[in-house]
Amino acid sequence: MVFSSIPFLYWFLPTVIAVYFIVPRALKNAVLLVFSLGFYAWGEPRFAVFMIAAIVQGYVFGLLIEKYREKKRLKALFTGLSCAVSIGLLVYCKYADFFIKNFNAVTGLSLPLLGIVLPIGISFYTFQILSYTIDVSRGNAAAQKNPITLGAYVAMFPQLIAGPIVRYTDIAAQLDRRSHSVEKIALGTRRFVIGLAKKVLIANQLAELINAFKASGDKSVLFVWVYAIAYSVHIYFDFSGYSDMAIGLGKIFGFDFPENFNYPFISKSGTEFWRRWHMTLGSWFRDYVYIPMGGNRVSKPRWLLNILTVWFLTGFWHGADWTFILWGLFFAALLVAEKLWYLKYLEKSKFLAHIYKILFVTVSFTLFDAPSVGEAFKSIGSLFGLGGLPLVSGEAVYFLRSYAVLLIIGIIGSTPLPKRIVEKISQGGAGKKIMMIAEPAALLLMLAVSTGYLADGSFNPFLYFRF
Amino acid sequence: MTQKTKNIAVILTAALWIFGLSLWGIFAPDAETSLSERRRLAQAPKLTAENLVSGKFMSDFEKYSADQFPLRDGFRRIKAYAEYYGFWQLDSNGIYFKDGYASKLEYPLNEAALTNVSNKINYIYDEYIKDGGGKVFLSVIPDKNCFLAPDAGYPCLDSEKMVNTLRESVPFAEYIDIFPTLDISDYYTTDTHWRQEKIIDTARTLAEAMGAEIGGEYTEKALDAPFYGVYSGQSALPLKGESLIYLESPAINGMTAYNFETDAYGGVYDFDAASGTDPYEIFLSGPRSLMTVENPAAKDKGELIIFRDSFGSSIAPLLAEGYSKVTLVDIRYLASARLGQFVDFDGADVLFLYSTLVLNNGEVMQ
Repeated sequence: MVFSSIPFLYWFLPTVIAVYFIVPRALKNAVLLVFSLGFYAWGEPRFAVFMIAAIVQGYVFGLLIEKYREKKRLKALFTGLSCAVSIGLLVYCKYADFFIKNFNAVTGLSLPLLGIVLPIGISFYTFQILSYTIDVSRGNAAAQKNPITLGAYVAMFPQLIAGPIVRYTDIAAQLDRRSHSVEKIALGTRRFVIGLAKKVLIANQLAELINAFKASGDKSVLFVWVYAIAYSVHIYFDFSGYSDMAIGLGKIFGFDFPENFNYPFISKSGTEFWRRWHMTLGSWFRDYVYIPMGGNRVSKPRWLLNILTVWFLTGFWHGADWTFILWGLFFAALLVAEKLWYLKYLEKSKFLAHIYKILFVTVSFTLFDAPSVGEAFKSIGSLFGLGGLPLVSGEAVYFLRSYAVLLIIGIIGSTPLPKRIVEKISQGGAGKKIMMIAEPAALLLMLAVSTGYLADGSFNPFLYFRF
Repeated sequence: MTQKTKNIAVILTAALWIFGLSLWGIFAPDAETSLSERRRLAQAPKLTAENLVSGKFMSDFEKYSADQFPLRDGFRRIKAYAEYYGFWQLDSNGIYFKDGYASKLEYPLNEAALTNVSNKINYIYDEYIKDGGGKVFLSVIPDKNCFLAPDAGYPCLDSEKMVNTLRESVPFAEYIDIFPTLDISDYYTTDTHWRQEKIIDTARTLAEAMGAEIGGEYTEKALDAPFYGVYSGQSALPLKGESLIYLESPAINGMTAYNFETDAYGGVYDFDAASGTDPYEIFLSGPRSLMTVENPAAKDKGELIIFRDSFGSSIAPLLAEGYSKVTLVDIRYLASARLGQFVDFDGADVLFLYSTLVLNNGEVMQ
């Protein structure tokens, strides 16, 4: 089930909220677990089994790790086993065919592909369970004795499918005891509705432009640029909109999930971009891969290896395809180059730094979206006039005209400017009064228009489902 | 008002909206059809173990919940307003407005569809017409985009290329060019179709090219209710109704139409259909697989077989004045391979008359 759908908004959500707030405190986690499993099974009934298996192994190994905390070898064994089961399940479901395809390509054999359908959200909940057992092993968290509580953490529907990647330590205390207040619920409601509007009104509409580009037989250099910019804005609004909805729902249910985006497009370098983009994934790799490998407190060659490993894994996490691996390595190269050579120069000119960053991020997302490595180079080459395409085409002009306002709203909306304007207005006495009315009215308008798009059955995929 | 009051207002607003529409959706009776969209709406799916495990229940429920959403037409209208006036998009669901006319984007040229059409025409010619002795004609009806899109910068298919490709692929057919007889004012503003009262010249051009003679004196009659074309519903905007006019003459009034699907006789104008979901179906009952029109007043005893789409329904009564019998075949609904069972091609002239819209979606030709 996706958040931006009629069944979720007008059937599932009111039901879960009503039941959750009616039952006594002791049953709230059970309610969350039951509804979350139902939410998951709605999209993939078969794969609920994978999730339950993942929860059970995390629960059992968590207890075993804690029980044998003082016996280092046993602790390491159980930690290793838990990680192996989690990663094994992920590799089997997500990467098996990739490895078989490449093995066949290298050896000339033709081993049959397994054709496994990727269970939704497996990359996210695998990383959550990994962080749980590793943190228990490190002594950063106590093992959860109540399987329902652990189940509610792993399966919690707001962040189940597309993050943010909530670590157990982020919400361990709230799983046992959390407060619900008018302020928090209102904050959550605002955040959810804004996320919904970002997803439905901007991301989904730009997806139609992107699809039109892909289907077009009238491509041009201008059209490739329009597509590349639209895709960058689209992926930000799609993913950050989903994170906003997840964080908002978390607040309604009394949780404080970590932020996942912090206006990444205002960054002035690739390094800064990754501090602002998909922050929970970046920090996960930092804490569970990069730092354990020695981070940057090692020799330069080893540091380069650490960087390459982390970015290889970051790319590979996004998808079982060479385009994703190349995408990760592209950022590895960019970050290394920045750190070794020119980050200090970038910091001197904000304007040039922005141009530099936007250019590289746009190119990176063109690579990210390409169906193959060959197509990726073709698209990137076309951006710079190397594809033999005309400079301008009729369709490019039409779609640019038709989507100009959406693109402008998207570009401005991906900066802190709207937030600052609202804050500025809210500071004055009169402004404060206006906002008292304007804010609920604006939220209502966003809900109504988003509902209009959903009721009309507009294009509505969630990009990060496949991860 | 304090911050707390504002928070309460935010929660109450959202809760009333979501819970209110949720309860409304649950308790309101389900509708069978959408008049504005001219389609049947999804109904509540059956809850069975098999449907649940396969996921069919869920996918059907998603369609059902969107189709049966309270005030759905109103919400669709909100969406249309947001697209046209909020985001200044040039089209909504592919529909755009130019010079007061609504039209739907149709591009690019679908060569696979065109190939299918020409294959079907060739098959029909080889199988039924070649040895029948009648003449074969081909004509293409421009859709509204041909007049509206190019100057306004909307993408549109290359109709000239379409016609040339089709002509080359059916060399046995004599092409009749009706493009010069038409302009945008010959079409309804809210519908895809042409207006019958504006295509007398077009009918005359076709008839003359086929060697038939048709009259020229008609009386215009209008339906009582305003006509809201297919784009009214699809655009979801409150478009102004138009007057649907049909032509009468002594010859037309004397014609008898036979519908093979219902095995029923009637006039060329179906007034029951005129009060249905698509009033344009007044013309020969709309999309029907096979019809015949007999004209007892015909001077010429010749017969004409028209392979047509819905544009053909409104011009057929005019063309029928020049023939004793006109057979209308729609191979979107009747397989070409079965034509021999129903249609006698012996000695009859044949006209393949299709709009660019249908040609560009010609995969549906059977």
